[in-house]
Amino acid sequence: MVKHENFKTCDQSGFCKRNRQFADAAAATSSWTSPYALDPASLKFKDGQLSGTILKSLAEGQDQVVLPLTITFLESGVARVSLDEEKRKKGDIVLRGDSKARKERYDETASWALVGGLEPAKGAALSEKVETGYTKVYYGAGGKHEAVIRHSPFGIEFKRDGESQIQFNERGLLNMEHWRPKIEKPVDEKEGEEEKKEEEKPEEPKGEDESTWWDESFGGNTDSKPRGPEAVALDISFPGYEHVFGIPEHATSLSLKTTRGGEGNYNEPYRLYNADVFEYEMDSPMTLYGAIPFMQAHRKGSTVGVFWMNAAETWIDIVKSKTTANPLSLGTKGHTDTQTHWISESGIMDVFVFLGPTPQDLARQYGELTGFTAMPQSFAIAYHQCRWNYVTDQDVMDIDRKFDKHKIPYDVIWLDIEYTHEKKYFTWDPLAFVNPKKMHKQLNKRDRKLVAIIDPHIKNTENYPVVEELKKKDLAVKNKEGNQYEGWCWPGSSYWVDCFNPAAIAWWKTLFKYDSFKGTGPNTFIWNDMNEPSVFNGPETTMPKDNIHHGGWEHRDVHNLNGMTFHNATYEAMLERKKGEIRRPFVLTRSFYSGSQRSAAMWTGDNLAEWSHLEASLPMVLNQGISGFPFAGADVGGFFGNPSKELLTRWYQAGIYYPFFRGHAHIDTRRREPYVPGSPYTEIITQALRLRYQLLPAWYTAFHEAATTGAPIIRPNFYIHPEDENGFAVDDQLYVGSTGLLAKPVTKESADSVSVYIADDQPYYDYFDYTVYKGAGHHTVPAPLEKIPLLMQGGHIIPRRDRPRRSSSLMKFDPFTLVVVLDKDGNAEGTIYVDDGETFEYQQGGYIHRRFSFDGSKGFLTSVNIGTKGTKTDAYAKAMAKVRVEKVIVVGAPKEWKGKKEVVVSEEGAKESARRKKAGFEFHEASGKSAAWAVVRDPKVAIGKGWRIDFS
Amino acid sequence: MGRTLLSTLSFLLYCLSITANAASDGGSRPAGVGPEFAKYYKDPSTFTCISAPSIVLDISRLNDDYCDCPDGSDEPGTSACSHLSPLSPPQPFPYGSPSDNSTPALPGFYCKNKGHQPSYIPFTYVNDGICDYELCCDGSDEQSSISGTKCEDRCAKIGKEWRKAEEARQKSLGVANKKRRELVAEAGRLKREVEDRIQTLRTQIQGAEMKVAALEKNVAEIEREEKGKIVRGPAGGQGGKLAVLTQLAKDRITELVQNLGRVRGERDEARKTVQELEEILRKFKEEYNPNFNDEGVKRAVKAWEDYAAQEKPGPDAAHDRDLDEMLKSDAENGINWEEYENHEESDVEVLYKFEAYLPPPLRTWLDSKLRSLRILLIENGILADPHTSDTPESKRVTDARQQLTTAQSELETDRSELTRHEEDAVKDYGPSDVFRALQNTCINQDSGEYTYELCFMTSTTQKSKTGHGNTGMGNFVRLETIETDEDVPADGKGVGRGKRWVMKFENGQHCWNGPSRSTMVVLACAERDEIWKVAEEEKCVYRMEVGSPSVCGGSWRGGGRGDRCIMSCRTVS
Repeated sequence: MVKHENFKTCDQSGFCKRNRQFADAAAATSSWTSPYALDPASLKFKDGQLSGTILKSLAEGQDQVVLPLTITFLESGVARVSLDEEKRKKGDIVLRGDSKARKERYDETASWALVGGLEPAKGAALSEKVETGYTKVYYGAGGKHEAVIRHSPFGIEFKRDGESQIQFNERGLLNMEHWRPKIEKPVDEKEGEEEKKEEEKPEEPKGEDESTWWDESFGGNTDSKPRGPEAVALDISFPGYEHVFGIPEHATSLSLKTTRGGEGNYNEPYRLYNADVFEYEMDSPMTLYGAIPFMQAHRKGSTVGVFWMNAAETWIDIVKSKTTANPLSLGTKGHTDTQTHWISESGIMDVFVFLGPTPQDLARQYGELTGFTAMPQSFAIAYHQCRWNYVTDQDVMDIDRKFDKHKIPYDVIWLDIEYTHEKKYFTWDPLAFVNPKKMHKQLNKRDRKLVAIIDPHIKNTENYPVVEELKKKDLAVKNKEGNQYEGWCWPGSSYWVDCFNPAAIAWWKTLFKYDSFKGTGPNTFIWNDMNEPSVFNGPETTMPKDNIHHGGWEHRDVHNLNGMTFHNATYEAMLERKKGEIRRPFVLTRSFYSGSQRSAAMWTGDNLAEWSHLEASLPMVLNQGISGFPFAGADVGGFFGNPSKELLTRWYQAGIYYPFFRGHAHIDTRRREPYVPGSPYTEIITQALRLRYQLLPAWYTAFHEAATTGAPIIRPNFYIHPEDENGFAVDDQLYVGSTGLLAKPVTKESADSVSVYIADDQPYYDYFDYTVYKGAGHHTVPAPLEKIPLLMQGGHIIPRRDRPRRSSSLMKFDPFTLVVVLDKDGNAEGTIYVDDGETFEYQQGGYIHRRFSFDGSKGFLTSVNIGTKGTKTDAYAKAMAKVRVEKVIVVGAPKEWKGKKEVVVSEEGAKESARRKKAGFEFHEASGKSAAWAVVRDPKVAIGKGWRIDFS
Repeated sequence: MGRTLLSTLSFLLYCLSITANAASDGGSRPAGVGPEFAKYYKDPSTFTCISAPSIVLDISRLNDDYCDCPDGSDEPGTSACSHLSPLSPPQPFPYGSPSDNSTPALPGFYCKNKGHQPSYIPFTYVNDGICDYELCCDGSDEQSSISGTKCEDRCAKIGKEWRKAEEARQKSLGVANKKRRELVAEAGRLKREVEDRIQTLRTQIQGAEMKVAALEKNVAEIEREEKGKIVRGPAGGQGGKLAVLTQLAKDRITELVQNLGRVRGERDEARKTVQELEEILRKFKEEYNPNFNDEGVKRAVKAWEDYAAQEKPGPDAAHDRDLDEMLKSDAENGINWEEYENHEESDVEVLYKFEAYLPPPLRTWLDSKLRSLRILLIENGILADPHTSDTPESKRVTDARQQLTTAQSELETDRSELTRHEEDAVKDYGPSDVFRALQNTCINQDSGEYTYELCFMTSTTQKSKTGHGNTGMGNFVRLETIETDEDVPADGKGVGRGKRWVMKFENGQHCWNGPSRSTMVVLACAERDEIWKVAEEEKCVYRMEVGSPSVCGGSWRGGGRGDRCIMSCRTVS
């Protein structure tokens, strides 16, 4: 059970409480007016950027607070709204308590989160015709987007095609808590009746509740808050949108719930404050290990979104209001608006607005800003075997042999913290891991890898060069006094490397070199855990907020970025382990932020071996996908506790659909490697694993798509069928990339069937026996333990490799099977992306990227190149020249093919005589519910070549 | 253009090479076919799927890297049919066979390994870019690989090394077998010893039984006599009511003093245990990680803090001194029991004195009559038996009884020893009773931060190298046999495959959050007793692989040539 008392509620987090009260006060007053107004005289528009000054009115007699505003209209059609505080920007404030912190509001999140997409729109233009008190800017492709800026009170309405999509400060909840000096009051006046609605009369400063302005205590730890209250908050409304998705990481449904009470809803806002939450609970808005403040709203035909780029603790309230249809006016349909309230503790306000209109547009635009998923090494998307802990090098080699013996494929074995010598990272336990080189060598024999854990806490001990250097070079995070901060984690007393510091990153890189981290080799990869950071004796199991990072920034300002800076540093270090040996790094992280996808994979942290956690893993991983960080997975089997054999088996059958697929277990659990449960479970799990391996070409292609377009790797129903209103909230089934593979993992005990939701009128075929399911709605698909419910949507061509091997690398030169699944019109299309799975040569064209199309009217199956030629293209083509398509299966084959015995194959570049060769063909008639299918026997065409198979 | 031509050419060449492979091979068998299957591959123009004879293929389809037969028999030399396995995701198969996986007809790819042992390797290993020399020293498994991997024929070298190793193994096996014979002989000797002892004990017991019987009779006799005597009082007329009381008091006090002493000892023992436990808990509280978030640990620490906070009286020195005094002998305490015991003219005696006034013959007559009457009454349950009441037993009875008790306990000792030996004689000591000879043998092995100790037929122990004390991993409960199926490493230190003896040890030290520790010791033949491997299979469940000459001979052996194959071990003559 999660310890609720260890983590704050909104009410216990001063700034959240203040802003919720602010919202309540606004809602309670019909005459509420937001005290923020844009000074029209200050407005300037140049090069796609509108700048000006917002003035915040305070009580009578007090100066207005000057807040510089910039709205940047980007070439991509995205708008960026930034708001700062002038006084702070100029450093014109006094910090309390002799603080060493910076005076500015934190404005460097962009330098960590963003990598591009910031070109201002050349076409953005101020509108000439506007009402007074408004400014209007047209932007976006064809000027279809417009931002209507209301001067007083300040507000923005974003429209697409003239229709309102997103509104800022519509409810008047914009709140930038300006800096103010602390006025010491007589003791008896302090802490008055704070529950009174004092917010109703903000013009009465004496009445303001200051109880949460200055020092704040929680769980025995006091936050000194040297800058006093400094929250930024804004209400963002999505008129006409019933569903909002995103803002991971939470153990909740894909379609987010409302947060202000009521049946089936939450009472707490969704919280983003990266934390090591022990035994986290299901169906909760509680914070977890990572934060991506990117939210998208979806309705039929339109997807829009906002990216609230702030790295401080953030809370998001969501409410929905339903407008019922007016029975008197025909044609006015009832609709639901979603209103959100974003509250961050500190930093500037910096918000990106996306106007879609498709989920694909959002994925691409968000990806252009924060970066796309790094193309992983091919092993990284195969199966990972982990446990806390494989206890000796012998143990590791034994597990390795056992997988082979049981003919179960796997690629990576993992070592948790116990491999180290007394929790000192970069060392090996000399008694348990006597010969790590030999261990790596054995793994390398089958081209397998080892992932070792390296955490950010560095043990404070004698005779440990790493900590000695860290201290000497002064690279650790500081406490509020400016001394190196010491806290507790696995090793006991520890320091935390401060990866906000470029010098710390430079030093971190040196630690991973083979002659520095002895015993590692090219097949060692890294796992970064505890990087929220987890501090056992810190408030909410993390660092005090008044700790100080490089550049004088308070931990408060950068908390949610911390994990990313750490895994980024590890990624960079992995690139430089050895000169001339540049391989794509693999780093797994627990903590993350927007941008983490560029250098890491993530997992959903320490889950439980319970059916409910298996169930929750699907919306969580789906949500990662649409939030730009799709290389995600949950611990298969559940971390804490012992899964029943059935649960373990079902979890493997579900886990094969996690983009990051790893079995893991707590140190107190029984061993549960796939060969442990025995017959029939081991055989069934092996089938599941082999299915993942068989489909690796499709998975790799999906990863490539993510790496180039930002598309999720596993996709929720709404992403594939954005017009299908009934399917918007569906989050218990998924599509794999663009393959049309629709999986519905079993997440209920003793189930023998599942109900699969089909959104369209295409035929769907059972993957294993080609049973046809047709018609929108729910279909019952058998799912006894040995059966994985997996359908193929008509209209796709799925690449596979059918030969089972010991690891994915050993499949590199195996031939492909293409499964052509015809749609209702008899057509199909698909792509494949292949590269060496290891180096960066794909960036110079060292890859094969092809589109397969089956044209039902002509009866042609063709392969065309969709890659771009680069310097390495030919070399790779040569290396792959002999890799062929060994089989083409056509599912839903037309019955006219009956009796056909051969097809004609032609390949580009073939000699004239071999231009039109024949290949064997077999047709199998439909029987019962199973569709007709056909097989082309060994067309002998190369995967990298252009070719055509003529079925006519 | 030239480039494309080249690659097309190489592609063609590749196809040719596959066919060549199929055709070559001394004109005898296609690649990958073992001699026992040669008969299926004789036809030069067609091939018939072995388990689906209705399917007849053109010979060009044999080993053409495309799976045609539902049993995979058309691809003995490639990996094209390697997916045919119940472990693969099911898929419909052509030729209308059932829509799941068919059983492969061949055990694997046959590596001839000329110069070494031929063997089969799984089809999934064929042409995967890895030279699986352990199984396929001639490198033929990668012959048609397109990965660029070239596997040279290493059979000469590997075969030589293997033969050398095999020779050593055989030699070692010889030594081991010899050792085993010695062990069996030793076990035999030990068994004979036990049997001899059983014989001796049986005789001894017979004698003792007779002695006990005699003594029982004696006691009964004396008791009978004594029952009568009481009427007249104990012979010698010692003591009266007071003496009886004194005797009672003395016995009672002796008893109390003894018990007090014992209780005190127990208390001291308990106090020590408590101290020890408190020390463990104090340390536990100091050393535990407060943020580990283990509820159990936190609760325990909290409970300890509460406990430690309680006011508890310490040991009271004065009280102990008093106890010491009390435990001193009676003489030192100034009590002289003799004084009271030897007091003449007890009150009871006086009552009987009237007899003295009767004439002797009458007195004798009366005496005997009364005595008979009394015995009669007692024996008929009318009068209470003096010995069951608080009346003290006479010295004679006590002595007789004492003798009897001694004889009985000697008999008991003999009997229990006999039972023990008899049980031991029939106890399962494994094949030819051989483990009898290892009963007192203990062996050690370092592994990680521990040294593991196995005392055959007795116990297993984990000893910390870093000074955290020893942990019992179980006490011997029984012998079992299991089937093992493991590859044997080059050094021969592995349990291999086949039936193996197992010693089960259970009820070791209890685990935190887990079961009591237990160990399964799997034995395989080796030249000397040695722990090869210790693994914690799951929490506190250990498995030890142990080499020992005791299990050599017959099918009870590890290592060896049969264990080299992964799939099936059909070898050619």
